[in-house]
Amino acid sequence: MGFLIISLIFTMAGVIASLAARICCNKGPSANLFHLTLVITATICCWMMWAIVYLAQLKPLIVPILSEGE
Amino acid sequence: MGEGGCCPSMELFRSEPMQLVQLIIPIESAHLSISYLGELGLVQFKDLNAEKSPFQRTYATQIKRCGEMARKLRFFKEQMTKAGLTPSTRPLTRVDIDLDNLETKLGELETELIEINANSDKLQRTYSELLEYKLVLRKAGEFFYSAQSSATAQKREIDARQMGEVSIDSPLLLEQEMSIDPSKQVKLGYVSGLVPRENSMAFERILFRATRGNVFLRQAVIEEPVMDPMSGEKVEKNVFVVFYSGERAKAKILKICEAFGANRYPFTEDVGKQGQMLTEVSGKISELKTTIDVGLMHRDNLLKAISYQFEQWSLLARKEKSIYHTLNMLSFDVTKKCLVAEGWSPVFAINQIQDALKRATFDSNSQVGSIFQVLHTKESPPTYFRTNKFTSAFQEIVDAYGVAKYLEANPGVYTIITFPFLFAVMFGDWGHGICLLLATLFFIIREKKLSTQKLGDITEMTFGGRYVIMMMALFSIYTGLIYNEFFSVPFELFGRSAYACRDPSCSDSTTVGLIKVRGTYPFGVDPAWYGTRSELPFLNSLKMKMSILIGVAQMNLGIVLSYFNAKFYGSNLNIWYQFVPQIIFLNSLFGYLSLLIIVKWCTGSQADLYHVMIYMFLSPTDDLGENQLFAGQKTLQMVLLLLALVAVPWMLLPKPFLLKKQHQERHQGQSYALLQSTDDSFEVEAHHDSHGHEEFEFSEVFVHQLIHTIEFVLGAVSNTASYLRLWALSLAHSELSSVFYEKVLLLAWGFNNIIILVVGIIVFICATVGVLLVMETLSAFLHALRLHWVEFQNKFYEGDGYKFNPFSFALLSDEDD
Repeated sequence: MGFLIISLIFTMAGVIASLAARICCNKGPSANLFHLTLVITATICCWMMWAIVYLAQLKPLIVPILSEGE
Repeated sequence: MGEGGCCPSMELFRSEPMQLVQLIIPIESAHLSISYLGELGLVQFKDLNAEKSPFQRTYATQIKRCGEMARKLRFFKEQMTKAGLTPSTRPLTRVDIDLDNLETKLGELETELIEINANSDKLQRTYSELLEYKLVLRKAGEFFYSAQSSATAQKREIDARQMGEVSIDSPLLLEQEMSIDPSKQVKLGYVSGLVPRENSMAFERILFRATRGNVFLRQAVIEEPVMDPMSGEKVEKNVFVVFYSGERAKAKILKICEAFGANRYPFTEDVGKQGQMLTEVSGKISELKTTIDVGLMHRDNLLKAISYQFEQWSLLARKEKSIYHTLNMLSFDVTKKCLVAEGWSPVFAINQIQDALKRATFDSNSQVGSIFQVLHTKESPPTYFRTNKFTSAFQEIVDAYGVAKYLEANPGVYTIITFPFLFAVMFGDWGHGICLLLATLFFIIREKKLSTQKLGDITEMTFGGRYVIMMMALFSIYTGLIYNEFFSVPFELFGRSAYACRDPSCSDSTTVGLIKVRGTYPFGVDPAWYGTRSELPFLNSLKMKMSILIGVAQMNLGIVLSYFNAKFYGSNLNIWYQFVPQIIFLNSLFGYLSLLIIVKWCTGSQADLYHVMIYMFLSPTDDLGENQLFAGQKTLQMVLLLLALVAVPWMLLPKPFLLKKQHQERHQGQSYALLQSTDDSFEVEAHHDSHGHEEFEFSEVFVHQLIHTIEFVLGAVSNTASYLRLWALSLAHSELSSVFYEKVLLLAWGFNNIIILVVGIIVFICATVGVLLVMETLSAFLHALRLHWVEFQNKFYEGDGYKFNPFSFALLSDEDD
């Protein structure tokens, strides 16, 4: 559940970023598509990294074992 | 990504469409036209006179004139640096200077400057000689004075003795002395001057030997070094006076003086005259000094006046030279009244070029306008990407490997995001990321000022890549937050850690460990892991699997780009017999591995993935036992294995045969088409470049396809493993960072001594900046670059085009050629 919610947050962030890019630099259809591509690529890269780290900690096979002494 | 034939084309994804244009320019407007086109900077001229040598070309004399002017400007620059002036970089009002005027002006200034220099050299020499003369007068005067006084003292003694004693032997001697005839007395002559101190011993010895000891030499040391008139440098010298008798001795002495570079100056015995000469020489010296100073001031004023206009003049000279070089590339048409130019230019620039030509016609008062027409050709055009200051650095990174073929998909678009991202995966520490960001913001904020200055080599490269580094820093902050490392210290920023002790006394936390009591830490690696004994096994497993997943994703993107290329060039062959088997092969093996990784994480199974993958090949029909992750896994594995095995001959065999069939079809029905197709092919239906010459060597094509297939199949394994460097470098970075933190900073803190703490902080800062911020940045940059150039681009990139290199004044190099 937490996974889906945070993935949704990433999607929203991506949409907001592409809207912001469209609003602030609107320079014709080919440039707009270019900016959109960049925003989508960045969102996917960031989400993928977060998702990998999250899923790896979902059902861990090993647990933290503290080292002796403080 | 969501772009095909339906949507508008994406900027920077493919090269700008280019066309070959022909310009016919009347001679009177030629110079102006080329000048305006140079300012526009959008035409790359072809050299139509390639067979001619540089001396046979039309405008060779003009180029020589420009070369002369450049030489004169270089001479001025030398003189200015010698005088300690620098050409001012003030932007002046544009004064339109004609080339001929400039030439005459430069010539005048040069002669004037040379004259001033020669005069001042002569004056300087005379001045040094006079100074030396003054020294000689002073020191030699001392000799004579002391010699005179001792002679009179001795005479008085002898007279006193004469008065006192009258003995038997003395009168005889006295008589003999007194009876010497004064006319038979030998007259002594003397030579006075200056000799360099290092030669003085040898000078003395040779004088002695040459005259058989019949000379008397007195030397006196001069304390400060004297300016030698010949060489213009300060040399240590001695004043000497040589007494000799006889003409032959004199001649020998003079020759020896010349050989040793000893300057001679005349000297009189008369004390009164000595004083007179001294005052005369002193007067001349002060006069000369003022003359020299006035001369130098005049020269400095001249150089200053030159320095204000120097930049403008040198720019003009360079521009003119480049214009004439370009004019030399044009050929005359039949009537000899027009120049014909051929060149590549982007399609969007048509209006601008026509505009420039019209203006040139108007400004040169020519009766005839220039003609502009587009030629159709099968030659391959240059590749041109319109980049701004942000994207140009990334495009250069891609171009360093190879310039994109005309109209091929440009990896630069994705590189803008994936390159900093892969860097950040290897660099992940948000403290270091913030440091990098601050450093690069310094460059970006002062970019207007820094872009006009001349920077050193390394600073120039860093400045050119400032936007790349900024992206790298931003992504590093993100991955640093995910890895939860701030100078290797974790923070609990996004909620509570998921792990806690099993029981309130925490008795077995060091043996069995903590357990997961809450939901997963929402963003990044749980801070409870840091400093534990099982930190490394966990992080290593996480990072290795992450590298594989990222690698497979990027390689799939590469293969999908090859699909877009194939679709654009309309090559069905490439789609069905290259793209499809490649996707199937890669994903049935490594895509499946990625799926297994994700399933294992989601279900928490204890299956051994190495075992699963290896035995998928070795014994696919065996029962999986405890390595079963989901139902139907065995069947799925067998299907995937079969698909992979089928994909290999699918990549290898059909394509050469189909190419051969296509080649035969093309040549059977259309014999008239042969003329057209003997040129180098820029064909929209691009077959492989192996038959650009219309000869189809089947064996060659087959071997080419075999190599390609083997490269892909073996590369699938090796490239996937290559992505493990993401894990390796990130591990190295975090370990170095934690060593510096624990063993330097914490150690220094533990001593409770302020001096040790300060020393510790300094060492920590130096180590962090030197090793982590500089060395690790370069290292991660290099490895991210390699991953892009090799593992990503070899899936789709051909990169055998050539770059668009327009004739543009903005791109003139600074060095004189």
